[in-house]
Amino acid sequence: MANVTFPFPFPEHLLALLPEMIVAVLAMALLLLDLFVPKEKKRMTAYMAALTMMAAGAATLFVMTPETQVAFYGFFVLDHFAVFAKLLICIATLLGIVLSIDYMKDEENIGEYYVLMLFSALGMMLMVSANNFIIMYLGLELMALSTYVLVGYQRDVLRSSEAALKYFILGALSSGMLLYGVTFFYGVSGSFHFVAIAQGIAEAGSSAGTAVLLGLVFVLAGLAFKVSMAPFHMWTPDTYEGAPTPITAFMSVAPKVAGFVIFMRILVDALPGLQHEYTTILIVMAVITMAVGNLAAIAQRNIKRMLAYSTIGHVGFVMLGLIAANADGYAGILVYLSVYLFMNMGVFAIIILMRREGIQGELLDDFAGLSRVRPGYALAMGLFLFSLGGIPFLAGFWAKYVVFIAAIEAGHLYLVLYALLFSAVGAFYYIRVVKYIYFDEERVAFNFVENRMMQATVVVSAIAVVALGIYPDPLIDLCQKALGGLI
Amino acid sequence: MQESAMMLNTTELLAIPALPLIASLIVGLFGWALKEKISHIITSASVIIAAVLSAHVFMQVLDGASFYGNFWTWMLSDTFVVPVGMMIDRLTAIMMLTVTIVSACVHIYTIGYMHGDPGYSRFFSYISGFTFSMLVLVMGNNFFTLFFGWEAVGLVSYLLIGFWFKRESANFAALKAFIVNRIGDFGFAIGILAIWYYFGTIDYREVFTQVEAFVAQGDVLHFMGWEMSAITFICLALFIGAMGKSGQVPLHVWLPDSMEGPTPISALIHAATMVTAGVFMVARCSPMFEFSETALAAVVLVGAITAWMCATIGLVQNDIKRVIAYSTCSQLGYMFVACGVSAYSAGIFHLMTHAYFKALLFLAAGSVIHAVMADQDIRRMGQLREYMPITYITMLIAALALSGVPPFAGFWSKDLIIEATMVREFTEYGWVGSFGYFAVLTAVFMTAFYTFRMFFLTFHNSDRVPAETKPHVHESPKVITVPLMILAVGAMLAGAWGVMALDIANPEAAAGYFGDSIFVLDAHNPLMILAEESHGHAWYHFVFSAPFWLAIGGIALATLMYLRETAMPASLANALKPIYTFLLNKWYWDELYEKAVMRPAQWLGNWLWQKGDLGMIDKGMIHGGIVDSVKAGAVRMREMQTGMVFHYAFAMVIGVFGFLTYLLLKA
Repeated sequence: MANVTFPFPFPEHLLALLPEMIVAVLAMALLLLDLFVPKEKKRMTAYMAALTMMAAGAATLFVMTPETQVAFYGFFVLDHFAVFAKLLICIATLLGIVLSIDYMKDEENIGEYYVLMLFSALGMMLMVSANNFIIMYLGLELMALSTYVLVGYQRDVLRSSEAALKYFILGALSSGMLLYGVTFFYGVSGSFHFVAIAQGIAEAGSSAGTAVLLGLVFVLAGLAFKVSMAPFHMWTPDTYEGAPTPITAFMSVAPKVAGFVIFMRILVDALPGLQHEYTTILIVMAVITMAVGNLAAIAQRNIKRMLAYSTIGHVGFVMLGLIAANADGYAGILVYLSVYLFMNMGVFAIIILMRREGIQGELLDDFAGLSRVRPGYALAMGLFLFSLGGIPFLAGFWAKYVVFIAAIEAGHLYLVLYALLFSAVGAFYYIRVVKYIYFDEERVAFNFVENRMMQATVVVSAIAVVALGIYPDPLIDLCQKALGGLI
Repeated sequence: MQESAMMLNTTELLAIPALPLIASLIVGLFGWALKEKISHIITSASVIIAAVLSAHVFMQVLDGASFYGNFWTWMLSDTFVVPVGMMIDRLTAIMMLTVTIVSACVHIYTIGYMHGDPGYSRFFSYISGFTFSMLVLVMGNNFFTLFFGWEAVGLVSYLLIGFWFKRESANFAALKAFIVNRIGDFGFAIGILAIWYYFGTIDYREVFTQVEAFVAQGDVLHFMGWEMSAITFICLALFIGAMGKSGQVPLHVWLPDSMEGPTPISALIHAATMVTAGVFMVARCSPMFEFSETALAAVVLVGAITAWMCATIGLVQNDIKRVIAYSTCSQLGYMFVACGVSAYSAGIFHLMTHAYFKALLFLAAGSVIHAVMADQDIRRMGQLREYMPITYITMLIAALALSGVPPFAGFWSKDLIIEATMVREFTEYGWVGSFGYFAVLTAVFMTAFYTFRMFFLTFHNSDRVPAETKPHVHESPKVITVPLMILAVGAMLAGAWGVMALDIANPEAAAGYFGDSIFVLDAHNPLMILAEESHGHAWYHFVFSAPFWLAIGGIALATLMYLRETAMPASLANALKPIYTFLLNKWYWDELYEKAVMRPAQWLGNWLWQKGDLGMIDKGMIHGGIVDSVKAGAVRMREMQTGMVFHYAFAMVIGVFGFLTYLLLKA
């Protein structure tokens, strides 16, 4: 970067950050504006936040160019890979906001809630565009700090506060590990840039072996925490259960997208020389993750907790893409994340629609007899659950299919067989819910929230799950194209 | 014939199977919402249009047109390619014409016959679906489309035999048909796989052009201690499929039972079309069968046994539909004998004439059954000619055709078969040829006898209709009688038309109807020998032939026993009690199957269920193993989730140290 003479970045480089700037500026404006919105009109804040995410998504498409753009002296990169991730984040945040409107309407200072969601999204958007550990950490902490608060937003609910505290403590620990690992890389290469680190590691060779390995393990641990890989997953069930349900939905999707995307970028850009080492670690973690997620889900009675383990299980399957470490595997991860977004948002939308007076945590039994009262919801829920279980021909099947095939291509046949085994175990607890819905008698009277936007979320997700299940090719093509920026 | 002088119109060809399929889907899926009238209009119209198009195709084919091509690839797995394509030549064209015309007649007939049945739309959906399947079967250009059609007609046949699914006997018969056909289809599938294994393709044309070189190469196969040439193995395996589908001994047991289905089905599927698929397949594969004398001899042997045995059973049956059903088995035997002696064109010719007169026979029988309140026992009929003149006359035509009385259709084709059998000599299996000739010749007499026995008992003899059904006996409505009359025209003229207009019997490839769609080695072409011998035969030469007099004799005996000396049958049955009982019980085939196959299979099933499933899998593996360990694992996982932050942090730290230790020790 020695030939750069301008004291400030070029204006067109600034343009690459347009989506982030929109979110940042509008979020801060909203924070101020919210002070003047009367309590009964707080819905306006939510709508504004939703519009902000739409604008950010549109801006992302607007600033996209065929070539990769680099801004801020190489700190920030905007390629198709980042664009794709940002779009997923925008959609997930938008849906998260939609799901919150009714659920959170009685909370105090609800305006800040949406602003925090926007900041969290901003953090994730920065994270997926990071080309450098500093920017990545900035984004990650912005995301994490906002989410800690969101998880504990229902201050008078003990469970919510407890979840937030646990998440915060463990999150701080993981951030510490991540930073600690980065310092080793900095020590070896003298840079925070991913590519420079790769060069530094290659140049140092075996002389820096121990330092590099220390760096690798701590960075992986820090990242693994964010995407709930075992044994760094243990915060997940408690936090998911305690958080307000819309936040659980949001957290189960958006941070996973950001986490996996930056995971891929770091592995490909910064640590190509350590592929052998990180693959070993990832395989061990994947083996534990799949077992923990799918087995523990069976023993749960609370659907949010069950879905937390389900997320862990799916993370285990997504890891196969990382382990495959080939183009198909990385494209498969993007496919998986896109499909997972719709499946999970759909399930959570229905859970929130079923919210009963005074009851917020939903037990599995609560679904008994849903098919008789609301056949439409029952059908949609069935579709989502079958899709999560990987039943053909629904989108979830293809998500699994692409990563499994990629892993087989990379020579990890036994790992895929293991994954198939746990995929079958997973099908059990998803289909058990379908059994409650369709075959059991209603136990408590249902009391539905009637909200058009949430119903629309359900319908859109259901259509996506079915359509992508019947004809997944466009999505797979798109994901392969998006990979152009990475490799 | 010139090579593809003219190509047929692809759209037209695709429309022929597509129309019945679409109609079947519409009526099948939305039948619950449609009125009876709409259902039958959609399906009948589609099949009638298909029949008209088939006739058009047939005329073009007569002018030398043909079609060969693939439309799309259905499946692709490495080198195993399954295209969806068509091959239309003269063999295909005559099958298409026969299938669609009979199907159209049956559709119209069904409007009257099934009126008011709760499954009305379902029935129409099935028979249109059947027409589609049968057309795919005959029109395909590779063994896989053949197999698809083969299985699809089998499925529809199953559905239709069990159409009245509330009847236990119907369900039983449907299952029986399906299971017996599985045996045949298994052989058929093995044959197709063997073709793919040896030839590397399943395309008709590619396989058939390779056969000669392949036989010269002399691949030999060792199979269960037998040594046979690969081509013999392939042909025998395919023929096992044909035996199942076409009701040949010992896989014939399902066909008489299939009469549990509604009568239009007996006419369409279990007489005119589906059951003849085996004959069609053998003729289609003539380039392969020709090179295996063993396979040809097996075809003759099985065909002859069936022709003769089922004729004997037909002599004493009392159920009107069963008599005709055994006659179907017997006539299918004739067709196979024809194919086996290399007179494939005679076999297909008989298939066509048989389709008309046998469908007519069944539909007429249906008309009778309709009149006497669904009673099928000919002992409770008699003198019906007074009430139903049209049915009477059309049935008489069909009976004469079946018996082989000139100039009705059956005479021409059956006579050709018998003469071809007479002149064909097998080099290795001489006795098979002699036995075949004996069987088909004596069966002519029996055929004539049982046909007219059934006919006289139904329409003549004494009036034995129970008093309570008497008032209902009446001629059937037009919608039933018109198809009878159309088919009667076919039963009268199809034979003469085939010999005179189409020149079916002509062995010269360039001149005869079938041209090069059927391949026969000159060395043993029976039609060629016949053509040489019969130069100078006058039109009345049949008067000097044995089959003609045997047929007349059979009819005369039936006349004597059932019109003149009506006490004679009973006393004869008494005198020959053991033989009579043996025949009445259908040679005890069902009992044999029950003892030899059903009982052991049931025992094995029970054993596997009790010991294997309940004992080993449920008790040993599920409850002892998988379920318990998954349960235990789930509980263990839940217990690890203590809710304590320091436990969680501890796990993370352990993870980090574990990985670090591993990497550093390895490095």
